[in-house]
Amino acid sequence: MTGTAFLEDLVLTARGVLLAVLPLALLFVIFQLVFLKLPRKEVSRIVAGTLIASAGLFLFLLGVAIGFMPFGRAIGTTLGTFSDKWLLVPFGMLLGFVTTWGEPAVRILADQVEEASTGSIRQPLVLLAICIGVAIAVGAGMFRIGYDIPLLWLLVPGYGLAIAMIWLSDKDFVSIAVDAGGVATGPLANTFLLALALGASAAGGQDPLVQGLGLVALIALAPILSVMALGLLVRWKGRRPLESQS
Amino acid sequence: MSRLPVSLLHLRMLALLRLKLSETLRSVGPLILVVCVLQIAVVGASAAVFLQFLLGSVLVTVGLLLLFAGVDLGLLPMGRFIGAALSEKKSLVLMLAVAFAMGFATTVAEPDVIVLAAQADAASGGTLPARSLTYLIAAGVGLFVAIALLRVVFGLSMAWQLTIVYGAMIVLSLLAPSQFAPLAFDAGSVTTGILTGPVVLALALGITSVLSGRSAVADGFGLLGMASVGPIIVLLLLGLLR
Repeated sequence: MTGTAFLEDLVLTARGVLLAVLPLALLFVIFQLVFLKLPRKEVSRIVAGTLIASAGLFLFLLGVAIGFMPFGRAIGTTLGTFSDKWLLVPFGMLLGFVTTWGEPAVRILADQVEEASTGSIRQPLVLLAICIGVAIAVGAGMFRIGYDIPLLWLLVPGYGLAIAMIWLSDKDFVSIAVDAGGVATGPLANTFLLALALGASAAGGQDPLVQGLGLVALIALAPILSVMALGLLVRWKGRRPLESQS
Repeated sequence: MSRLPVSLLHLRMLALLRLKLSETLRSVGPLILVVCVLQIAVVGASAAVFLQFLLGSVLVTVGLLLLFAGVDLGLLPMGRFIGAALSEKKSLVLMLAVAFAMGFATTVAEPDVIVLAAQADAASGGTLPARSLTYLIAAGVGLFVAIALLRVVFGLSMAWQLTIVYGAMIVLSLLAPSQFAPLAFDAGSVTTGILTGPVVLALALGITSVLSGRSAVADGFGLLGMASVGPIIVLLLLGLLR
C-alpha cells in the first residue's frame, strides 16, 4: 500500500466519522441546553463516551479500509477462478456468517434486546439468528451471481414471505426483525462481502456494479426473515427462549 | 453507576474496557481466524495483502473495543436521556420534529448516500441532480422514522404498518424500471450509521419506558428498520416518476 493511498483512507475515514458524530453532538447540545439540563458528571460521561466511541469507529473503519477491503477482493478473485460455480455458495455462507458475527451494530442490537426484554430473549439467540440469516443471504447472493438470476426473483418472494410471517410470528420478534434488517448491512458487510461479490462477478464477466448492489439488498432482507422465523419457533414452542435454551 | 464522581471516570473506563475486551475478541476473532485459514488453504494472496489484513485486524480490534466501551458509556445513555425527555414533554410535534431531524441529518452526512445519489443520478439519466437526490433520500429516512414513532406513540399495529410498507415496496419494485430496483433496495444500507444506531435504539427504548402500557421490546424496536425502508421507497418512487 502506498503512502498516498493510506493518507487518502485516513482523511476519508476521519471525515466520515466526523460527519457521523456531528449531528449527534448537535442534537445532544440542543437537548442539554433546552430540556435535559443534566448534571456535569453525566454530561462529561456522555461526552467522554461519545469521544471514545468516535475514536473507536475511526480505528475500526480505517482497519476495514486498509486491511479487510483488499483481502476481500483477493478472496473474490480466487472464488471467481473456481470452475465449479456452486463452490461460491458455501464460501459465501461461511464468510457471511463470520462477518455478521463481527458487525458491531448487530451485537449492540442483540445486547439491547436482552436488556430491554430483561433477559427473556437472550443475546446469543438473536445474534445467531441474524448471522444465519445473513449467511443464507450471501449464499443466495453468490448463487445468483454464479447462475445469473434476476434480483427481484429473490426480493419479491422474500418480502412477500416477510408479510406473511409478520402475522404469524411473535410480536416482539417482528420488531426486532425489522431492526435486524437495518443493522446487518454495516461497514463489514458493505466492504468485505461487497468486495467478495465484486471479485466473483467480475471474474464471471457480469456487470460488477449491478451484481454487487444486489448482495446488500439480500443482506438487508434475510435477517428480517430469520429473526421472525425465530419468533415463530418461540411461539410454536409456547414458551420463552430462556426456558427452551436451558 | 451514575452516582460515581467525575474523578472516578477513568477507573470505570478501565473496568469497562476489561469487560468489553472479551466481547470484542469473541466478535472479530472468528472472522480473522477464517480469513487466516482461507489464506493458507485457498486464497494465497500476496504477503503484502495478507500483512495489510493483519495490520487492519489489529486496528479493527482496538477500534471495536473503544467503540463498544464508548457506546455503553456515552451513546446509549445519550439516547435514553433524550428519549425520556421527549416523551415527558408530551409534545407530539417536538417528538416528530426530532425524529425527522435525526433521520435527515444523519443520512445527509453519510458518505454512502452521496455515492448512492450519484449512481441513481446516472441510472435515471440525470433527471435529478445528485445533490437534491441526497436531500430527498434523507427526507425519506426522516419521514419514516417519524412514522415509526407515531406508531409507538399512538399504539398502532406494527403488523399493519409493515404489511403496508413491504407491500408498497413489492408493488413499486415491480412497476419501476428494472435497473432501478437493485439500486433502490441497496439504498436501505445507507442509514446504518454505527454511532447513530445505538442512539436511535436507546432513544426509542427511552420513549417507550416513559409511555405507559407499551411493551419494551415490541414497541421499543423497529425504528432503525423503518429508517432503512425510507430511501428504498423514495428511490423506487423516483424510478417510477422519471
